[in-house]
Formats: sequence, C-alpha cells, structure tokens
Amino acid sequence: MKILILDGNPDPNNTQFEEYLADLTKEIHGLDNEVKQIKLRDLNIRYCTGCWGCWAKTPGKCVFPDESHDVCREYIHSDFVLMASPVLMGFTSALLKKTQDRLIGLLHPYFEFVENETHHLGRYEKYPKNGLLLDRSQNTDDEDIQIIKDMFRRFSLNFKTELAFFGLMAQDTKEVARAIDNI
Amino acid sequence: MDQFTKGFCESGGNEVETVYVNRTKELPEQVDLFKKADHVILAFPLYTDAMPGLVKAFIEALEPLCGRSENPSIGFVVQSGFPEPNHSRFVERYLEKLSKRLGSRYQGTVVRGSGEGIKIQPSWMTRKLFKHFYELGTKFTDENGFNREVMRKLAPREQLSKGRLFFFRLLDKTGKGNFYWDMQLKQNKAFEKRFDKPYQSKD
Repeated sequence: MKILILDGNPDPNNTQFEEYLADLTKEIHGLDNEVKQIKLRDLNIRYCTGCWGCWAKTPGKCVFPDESHDVCREYIHSDFVLMASPVLMGFTSALLKKTQDRLIGLLHPYFEFVENETHHLGRYEKYPKNGLLLDRSQNTDDEDIQIIKDMFRRFSLNFKTELAFFGLMAQDTKEVARAIDNI
Repeated sequence: MDQFTKGFCESGGNEVETVYVNRTKELPEQVDLFKKADHVILAFPLYTDAMPGLVKAFIEALEPLCGRSENPSIGFVVQSGFPEPNHSRFVERYLEKLSKRLGSRYQGTVVRGSGEGIKIQPSWMTRKLFKHFYELGTKFTDENGFNREVMRKLAPREQLSKGRLFFFRLLDKTGKGNFYWDMQLKQNKAFEKRFDKPYQSKD
C-alpha cells in the first residue's frame, strides 16, 4: 500500500509525538508498505479564504501558489492517508484543519446524492482511505474523542471514502501498524 | 449577520463589535475583546464538515481563558452550502462542548443550509432569511440568547423532504441543479475545464 502520513502537530517541542510517528513509520514500512510522512508545520500552507477559485476559476486547483498543492498531489496518489494530530481545545489542530480545507479542490462543487443526502461529486476516479491518529491532551475526555471521530467520519464520507482506521497514541505502534496494514 | 446586528441594536441600547477572525495578525486583540464582552457569537461557514482552519486557530488562542468565571456567554452560527442542516449537526456537538470547556454559558447554535451564493441572490430570495436573522437580533436581549422558534424556522428539517429530494434529483437529471456553479465557471471562462484533474499526473 502507498501510505501518506500527515503530521498535524504544530509544536516542534512535542518530541513524544514525533518519536511515536517516526516509530510508527518504521513499523508500517517493515510490513512492506511505501510510506511518506509530511510534517505540515514545515510547509507554507495558507488558510483557505473561501474564494472558490479552486471550483470556479482554475477547476481542481487552488489559485494561491503555496505548498498545499504538493499535499493535494500526494493525497490523491495515495492508497491510505493517516492524519495525525494532538487534540487541542477538543479537536484536531488548526494546522491539520487548514490543510484539510485546502484539499477541497479535489472534490467538485456539483452535488450528488449519497444515501438521499447531498454531498460533493468526486473529481477523480479513486480516493484514498482515511485514518486518524490522535494524541490526547490532559483535558481530552471520551466525549471529545467521540465528537472528533464522528466529524472525521463525515469528512471521509464527503471525500468519497471511509474512515478505515481510528486510534490513539496510547496504543503500541506495532499494533497500529498491523491494523493499518490490514486495511 | 448584519441583519442580526441591526435587530440587536434596534432593540435598545446595545453595543456590537464585529470582529473578522480572518485577520489573523490581530489575534491578541481579538482574544482581549472576547474577554471584555458580555456575549460572543462566533459565526462561520462549514469547511470540510467542521470549522474553517482559521476559526480553529482563534479557538486555540482562547485556551488560556478556559474556566474563567467572567467569560462571556457564547452562541454560534453555522452556515453551509448543503441544503440539509444535518451536515452542521456534527460540529454543533463540538461547539456545545467548547462552551463547557471555556466555562461560557451556551446560547445555542443557529444552523442554516443552502448558504452559497447569498451575496448574489436577489432580495426576494433573501428576504425571509434576513427577516429571521433580524428577529434573532431583536429578541436576543429579552430572551438572553437565541430565540428557539426562529432557530427552528431557519432549520425546519434535518434532511430533505421527499418532495424536495424529488425536486433536487430532477434538477440534477436535467443538468439545471448546477446552475450557480456553471454561471460562475462561464463568467471565468473556465466552463470547458470544469472537470479538470490537475493532480492526475504524479509529478
């Protein structure tokens, strides 16, 4: 499988987070998968301004020339995308969120019906499965975790895929790697 | 939101400061205004089934204020392009929990679908919507929050009714459902490229 890991940790001093991801990458690679990790905080990614350029001016591509384009290209060519983030104020990081926002050009503005509900039409034939890995903060409770999971399920539904993996960094990296490999 | 502000100010002696959270360089001043307010309403469009990234950044900046006893009450307005309010109910749960996390009294979340293109719609299409938001504003002080009845009028059904579903599917089949986007694409001379796949190649 071709796997993309999006590291949504904004804090370079959170070494525990980075060590976990480095270890996980090693484990996934050891199970004969191609893995690429992108540290989102090292990229120049601006906030989406909702200008609709990616839908109505340069279809499929944001009008702002920053490094989000590289993320879009990697995303659409992957089999599985694992989004990893600390939980900040009860949700994934603004860093990860702004990156997700800039993926919207991968979808079409036209609507289609999925189970009698409107959703965006896909632009490409194939979309990668999604995974989410969270690093709980001290004040993260089970309700927060459920809310985040449900919101990401909706994200995956709109991105023509499913949330195929959901986990917490308390889990052993070998266990997480095996679960991902089995997707 | 201008309608809400108008209604709120016309119902007597209230002061409103509108802050644009996309002015990210002004974050410290925005947090300061939050601290000094009696009530805060955070309004945003639904972006990939959640709040926009820059709104999340604003929320993260509020962390030092968690549990502060003098925090303002907080209400939310979530607008989405999808016609169904259901799409916004997931972030609504997050927002209610956010109020608890801050220790702010929760005013509720006003959810409104079919929000795309409001600025180009003629007044006969926006009259009812604007009237509802004006009413939310006028009733806010007396009710110490959002009027529940008006909130229900703004989001009467969570999913499309059978009738509306039939209508949308028919629009879709006849190719008229994408009228708004097709108009934008044609204005930008991009209609022929509307199904482009710019990242199809791996390089």
